[in-house]
Amino acid sequence: MATALELAPRLSDASTRKIWDVYSEFDWVDTIDPEEGWSMLPELVSIYGTDAWDALSETEQKRLSFYEIVNFFSFVLYGERPLVSGLMNRMYRKNTMGDITDYLHHFIDEENKHMIMFGEFCNRYAGKIYPEKKILMPREYAKGEEDVSFFCKVLIVEELGDYYNLKMMSDKTIHPLVARINKVHHVDEARHLSFGREFLREVAAQHIPEWTDEERGTFQNWLTQYLASCWGDFYNPAVYKDAGIENGYKVRQMAMQHPTCRAFRDEASAKVVDYFMDVGLLSERPAL
Amino acid sequence: MDDKTIREELRVWILERSGAPADRLSRDDQPILDEGLLSSLDVVEFILFIESLREEEVDIENIEPEVFTNIDSLVEAFFPDVKSAPAP
Repeated sequence: MATALELAPRLSDASTRKIWDVYSEFDWVDTIDPEEGWSMLPELVSIYGTDAWDALSETEQKRLSFYEIVNFFSFVLYGERPLVSGLMNRMYRKNTMGDITDYLHHFIDEENKHMIMFGEFCNRYAGKIYPEKKILMPREYAKGEEDVSFFCKVLIVEELGDYYNLKMMSDKTIHPLVARINKVHHVDEARHLSFGREFLREVAAQHIPEWTDEERGTFQNWLTQYLASCWGDFYNPAVYKDAGIENGYKVRQMAMQHPTCRAFRDEASAKVVDYFMDVGLLSERPAL
Repeated sequence: MDDKTIREELRVWILERSGAPADRLSRDDQPILDEGLLSSLDVVEFILFIESLREEEVDIENIEPEVFTNIDSLVEAFFPDVKSAPAP
């Protein structure tokens, strides 16, 4: 298996070959009618498989799918924002100097374009980006834990995002612009994931053995909660309200507990959870 | 919803979420985050609950972590216009 240092120049070459311009890549249609077609695959909509979903007419389901894709793009955008600042803070360090920093320049450039792309879609067609509800609280870290947790956050937003990208990027039933955005995102993310998985594996191998059992337990508890918290962002009461569904908070609570939705989250998280267990960042599968 | 009801709703939610005994939050000035009743990740869920009580979204960009110090600070920040229940 190639190390992150070995991967970096190959990924930089690929990024250079596949470079794209966010301002000319897409044909931005003037408007998208939320009720005209599917904006997100029905089976990816947060309440799919519940009575609340079945109670909606097809037009209402399509309307919900529009606000859900806006929420999904908002989720990824807000995940990428701290990612960019975190990557910038890690450039030109001793452990990233040279080829890795060269690749981080591409990584940041691509993430910046993704934010522009998602922001344009959300603002142009929905007139809004759903705000995230996370508040940064000061906390203490074990040695190296801040780096490990940063790359865990990177991987979670990218792995969950890519699960949705893969499902939608070639689908002919959803709006072609949505499919195209998912495709463009996936192509860049494949490289980011390849780098992120290896770099995190190395950072984790460097630090985890030095942690006490208590520190490892605290970290695993945080990682489990963080993953669950990210999933919580997919069940957004503001989305339900915009789609015309009453009692959005109760709908969220229902869907979070619903066995069909739980099974979906387990399936969509399987890849990143398998990875965390393989690397030793989790010792058991989290209840999502 | 009056002041007393809101305080009770907040208290019940926090205790249920944390699994802590009632005496950990028997007063409205008892610390929430410092005592570990809620984590920063619980706060995301808590904000959504607060929004459901307010029937209005919370502007996160104007919220400081100190708001989550105790029930008094929560009510002051998120329910500034709430009225006390009339005396029986």
